[in-house]
Parts: sequence; structure tokens; C-alpha cells
Amino acid sequence: MARKDFEMVNRCRRLPVCLEIFLDELRQKFYLVREDVDSFLAQYEVCSKSSVRYFTNVIVFQQSEDPTHISKLIFRLKEWYDAWLPSEELGATIRNAFILSFQTQLYSTLGPAFVKGFKDLIASTLPSSDPEAPEKPPDTAMWVIFETLGFLDRYESIIASAGYEHIEAYVLENCAGQWAEPMMENLRTWMSEKIVPWMLLMYGREATTTDDARVMLANVGSRFDFHMAKTLCDLRTREIFDIIVDYPDSNGALQDLKECLQRVDQRGALVKSLRKANRKRLLHPGADTRLILSQYVSTIKCLRIVDPPGVLLFKVADPIRRYLRERPDTIRCIVSNLVGDEDSGDSLVDESEPIVPLQQPDTEDYTDSNWEPEPIDAGPDFRTNKPSDVISTLVSIYDSKDLFVKELQVLLAQRLLAITDDNEVKVEKERRNIEILKIRFGEAALQVCEVMLKDMTDSKRIDGHVQSQKASIVHPTIISRQFWPMLESSEIVMPGQFQVLQEQYAKEFSTFKPDKRLRWLPHLGTVHLELQLEDRTVKADVPPLEAAFIELFSEKNIWSMDELIAAVGSVDRSAALKALLTWVHKGILREDEQGTFRLLEIAEEASPTREQPRLASTQQEIAPVTSLQQQQAEQMKVYWKFIEGMLTNLGQLPLDRIQTMLKFAPGYDQTIEQLAGFMEAARREGLVTVKDGIWKLTPK
Amino acid sequence: MKVTVKHWHAVAQWRWDTGHDEDSGDGDDVCGICRVAYEGCCPACKIPGDDCPLIWGECSHVFHMHCLLKWISTTASKQQCPMDRRTWVTAERKVAKSSS
Repeated sequence: MARKDFEMVNRCRRLPVCLEIFLDELRQKFYLVREDVDSFLAQYEVCSKSSVRYFTNVIVFQQSEDPTHISKLIFRLKEWYDAWLPSEELGATIRNAFILSFQTQLYSTLGPAFVKGFKDLIASTLPSSDPEAPEKPPDTAMWVIFETLGFLDRYESIIASAGYEHIEAYVLENCAGQWAEPMMENLRTWMSEKIVPWMLLMYGREATTTDDARVMLANVGSRFDFHMAKTLCDLRTREIFDIIVDYPDSNGALQDLKECLQRVDQRGALVKSLRKANRKRLLHPGADTRLILSQYVSTIKCLRIVDPPGVLLFKVADPIRRYLRERPDTIRCIVSNLVGDEDSGDSLVDESEPIVPLQQPDTEDYTDSNWEPEPIDAGPDFRTNKPSDVISTLVSIYDSKDLFVKELQVLLAQRLLAITDDNEVKVEKERRNIEILKIRFGEAALQVCEVMLKDMTDSKRIDGHVQSQKASIVHPTIISRQFWPMLESSEIVMPGQFQVLQEQYAKEFSTFKPDKRLRWLPHLGTVHLELQLEDRTVKADVPPLEAAFIELFSEKNIWSMDELIAAVGSVDRSAALKALLTWVHKGILREDEQGTFRLLEIAEEASPTREQPRLASTQQEIAPVTSLQQQQAEQMKVYWKFIEGMLTNLGQLPLDRIQTMLKFAPGYDQTIEQLAGFMEAARREGLVTVKDGIWKLTPK
Repeated sequence: MKVTVKHWHAVAQWRWDTGHDEDSGDGDDVCGICRVAYEGCCPACKIPGDDCPLIWGECSHVFHMHCLLKWISTTASKQQCPMDRRTWVTAERKVAKSSS
């Protein structure tokens, strides 16, 4: 019946007019829809505002707002749509005209508030990240309505971003701080189990077969996968410093990072983040050099995993290396690690790593048939450093290995002299160390150390012979002075029986080796003493200076400090005080008044000395060998003469002129920074003054 | 009080007895040929001491033995001491003196 009427209208060519009127009516009646929309949105907003207040302090990525109102709104809209939809008999043209008009009106009605709500609604359809939560059956009906109302096309980006946010939240929740295992695999499984079914509702809605669906999802799926990789990559980039700290327990995270970096171009961000973290957390005065070194070594290992060609490493390592170069004790740290100091903590070097000679930065091999161009993001000064061992890398912080050899020598000297009794095992250990280091540094460089070790065994042999001729309680280490680092000189003269012992031994030595003589270094070594006092016997292992002092007390019971110092030749006051305090601490001496010490033949119970702070330890802890810095300072004193002459002759000079002129001096190898430091020290002593960078002598 | 020394681990340097009294200063006397300290070793050696001994001349000059022998073996040397051009005569070591 309706169809008949309709055809009649059409025949009268009144149909377009009718349609116009119908659509006009639709527009005028649309305020009904608008009212509905407004009321639902208002309810939603009230609801969400109250819930926002609840949840602000809780990190909940699930819906903090209740999207049921939006859902109701959607169904309501559908009702309006159905109510006004022209019946199917009227033909497609009219229906299409209606749909277009309805959607246009609808979209103009729906503001940003709706968009937000809609996103929440979409998010609520996503599978919960909580594996315990019951699986919700997909609300297919709602998706059909979305389709009908044309939301899927219009709000595609919103739906996708809801998906992205869900992925981000999931990745953050499950992967943050989880570095032991690679997460990529798990994430992919989760994606295909949870996210793909959801994506099917949206993107695979027209698919009839699974193959169809796969084709449709291929494109959008890779977009989601990319997003997942990017999120994980961002997360790992933020965490990279701690990941390196945790290495090797963070191997999984590094594998992930490697995989992500191949998919996402975040290399620049990674370098930036790591450099920033290093600057903030590592390269500051509060960090121990040993720590910096071990973090640097871990960084090397980690970034090798992430990026085998080493471009990332090169960019990150540069500031660390520059910083380490400025630290005064870097070499010492590396060297003491090389020789395996017990107190140096974790070894930087992996025990399993094969010992190989140091690698010099070799020039490019033009005949290499496997040559590959440098990676695309390599900087201009990037050098393809082949995966070399850690020690080579550390040594290459400095331009030459000579510094290491020197420091090694100093360290070896300290350790050899510290060996108190003829402890063959310890010497053997040092020898083994040196043999290993020879492989690294080359035979020639460690020749000196070889001589030092030989001195140790020779001393033992000579001592054996001397003892067989005439037994002595002196067991000296006899050193070849040209081959040992500069030892602190000392003017001590050993008193009493010590001198006798020395002379006797030296005489025996000269009989054994007629061409040689001994010159004692009286301040080095240790003496094992037994003191027989009236009421007690005390045994002690002490440095020679302490021994000398107590020997003097066997002559008379009361000595003043100045007398004591005069009796042993010249000795530093603070060293003398330290030596005396050792005995005070042992309860053998007592400081009666400032600078006067008395021997306690009979022990004093609860003597006030007990309450004195532990000032001196029984063993001399300071290194007897002049350290490299001290040697440098020693050198600078020589150059001071030159500087003084210069300034006297030329009046006043800027720093760079002084440096240029000093370069003519033989053996001058200080940098301008070192010179500046020295001049600054001279200024503090009042020798020179500086004005506008011009130095001159302080007028006398 | 009586102090008894049970054991003394001392440290000493050895020096060649060159006949000169160099105890006065720390100045290192050097071999006139290679200009390396006597207690060092000649350029051909690596280990000092008995492996690279000194040689004493009648003329009171002292050299690393290896250095001097190398010099003497050249024809240009005419068997003379490089310092004073007198004929080189190796001195008998006055062991008695040095150990006295």
C-alpha cells in the first residue's frame, strides 16, 4: 500500500520535494536527539568527575570513568536512527540520503566531550590486563551499532589511539624493571591472543573467512606491533643506565632493545638518554673511579650486545673516556685491577676472557674483502674499533701505554717491598701477574719489572749465602736502584745495635760480592722486636723508625722529641710523632708533657693513653714509593727555576708564553693545564701574582 | 729495658765499588762509553748486576765490561782507554781494600 502511494508520488515528480521536506523535518526534529545526547553526556560527566576524584592518586590505567552512560547513549542514538529510518521499500536513494543527513546532524551535535567518552567506551572493550579477570564476551551488538552510525570510519584514529594506550599501559606494567628475560616474545603472544581478537571487531568486520581477516589485519597489525616495539624501546631507553648497572643480569632487556632498535629508529634517543644519565649519575666527583670504570666496562659489554658495530658505544663512551682521562687515579685503578689487588673489589676483567696483546688502533686494511662501510649514523671521527678486549679499550683511554707501565712499576715496587718475610708464594704470585701482563704490554715494556722480580729472588739467594757464612737476623731485600721507581729518600741513621747489624751484614755482603757495596734504605722494611720490660715482654712488628726510637729508650728512659729526632739524624716531625704514638698506643711510652716521652718500665693500669684516639696503626700504611704525582711535582720544582728566570728577565708574561718557552727546556712534558695548576700553587705561596692572565714575580 | 731484634726485613741498594767515593752525593756515575749509570746495564744487556759487570782499568777509569770489550775489539781503539788514550790495562781488583 505504501509502495503504491510512493510510486504515485514519484510519478507526479513530487518525490524530490517530499524528500526535501522529510530531511527538513529531520533537521528540525533533531533537537530531540540533541537533548538526549546532552543529558547522557551530562550524566557521564558528573559520574566521571566524581570518579576522577577517587582515582587521581592511584595509577590505574583501566577505566577510571564509567562509560556505561556513553554505551546507553549509543543505544539511544540507534533507537532514534531506527525510528526515523525510511522503510526499505522506498529504495536505496532515499535511505542513503537519510543516513547522510542523520550522520551529518549527529556529528555536528557530538562535541569533544563525547569523543572523550567514546574513547573510554572503546578502552573498556579492550581485554583486561589482569589475567585473573573473567573474559568478557565481545559485545558484538555494540560494534554493529558503531558501524551503522558510521563511527568506525569517523573515529578510527580514536579507536586506534585507545588501542595504543592500552598497549603502552600493558608494556609499562609488565616490562618495567623486568630485565632478566627478553619480553618481546611474551608481548607478541599477548598481542595475538588478546589484541588481535579485539582488532577483528574493528578492522576485520567485513571479513568472511580467516584468510580475508589476515589480509585486512596485516597492515593495521604491523602498525600496532610497531607501536608495541616503540613503547618497549622508549621504556628500555629510559631504564638503560640501570640496565647497565645490572648487567649481566639484564641480558634479556638488552636483547629486547636490540630487536626494538632494528624496528624503531631510536638510536639517537638512546645515546642521548644514556649520555644524560651518565652525566648526572656517573661523571661527578662523588663517584669512585673504580665505580666509573666498572660501569664503563659494563657499558662496553652492553652496547656491544645492542649494537655490534659499536657506533652507539663510540658516542656514549667518548664523554666517559674524556672524564676518566682527567681523573688523577684512573691509571692506578686500572693497573691495580690488572694485577688483581685483593682490595680493589670486583675485577674489571672477565677471568674467562683470553689474554691477548694490546691492540693498537690499526690502520684500515684496504685488501679486506669483507670490508663494510661504516654504519650510517657514525660520526666523522668514528673509528671502526674491532671488538677488542676490555683492557685494550681501557688502556686506549690514554695516548700511550707508557703511563701504565710506569704506574705498574710503582705498584709492583710497593707490593714487593711490603712482602715482609721471605714469602715465596707472594713473589710467585707477582711473577705470574707480570707474566700475564707481559702478554698484554709486550716483553720489552715490562723488562724493568722483570729485574725487580729478579732482585727479589737474588736477595733471597744472597741472604742464604750470607747467613751460611755468618748468621744474622737481618734479611734484606737488595734492589737494583736504576730499575726501581724513585723511592723516598730518608736521612735516618739507625742507632745502637741496628747500626752494628747493618755494618756486619754489609761487610759479609762485600766479602761475598767483592765489587759491590750495600747502601741501606733504613726507613724501609719492618722489624720484629721483643722488648723486655721489668714486668712484661712485648713483641711487636714495627717500621724501622719506631724500632730506632725504642732502641734509644733502652739507653735512657726520658727523651724529648727534639733529642730523639737529632739522635736518628733528620726525620720529619710528623713522622716522628706518628712513630712515637705507636709506642704510646702500645702502652710502652707515655707523653708526660708536650714533646717529652717517658718509658713505662712498669705498665700503667688504665693509663690515660688508652683513651686517646687511635692515632697510629702498628703497620706503616703509607706507600714508601713516590707516587707518579709526587714525581711530577718534584719535576715541576726544577722548572720553577726556569719560570723564575723568565719572569725576572722579561718582567711579566701570559701563561701560554711561559708554556711555549718551557717547551725548550729538556724533558718538559707538562700540559698548559698542569702548568696553570702549578702557577696557581706558586701564587698561593706568594711567589707570583697574576693580573688579567699576566703573571709576574712578587716584588721582593 | 732490653730491646732484642728477632727479625729485620731491611731494604738496601747495591752499588758498584768504583773506587770513587760517590757516597757523598746521589749523583749517578755513568759509564763513559754508553752514558748509562754503572748500576744500570749496557745497551746490549737487560739485567744489571753480575750479568753486566764493570771493568776497572789501571788508569782508574771504569766502564761496563761489555762496552769496553766492544770498544777494544774495534781497530780504531788501538787498545787504548777511551778516556785518556793510554793503553788499556785491566786493574787487579784490590779486594783487600774494598773489604777492609
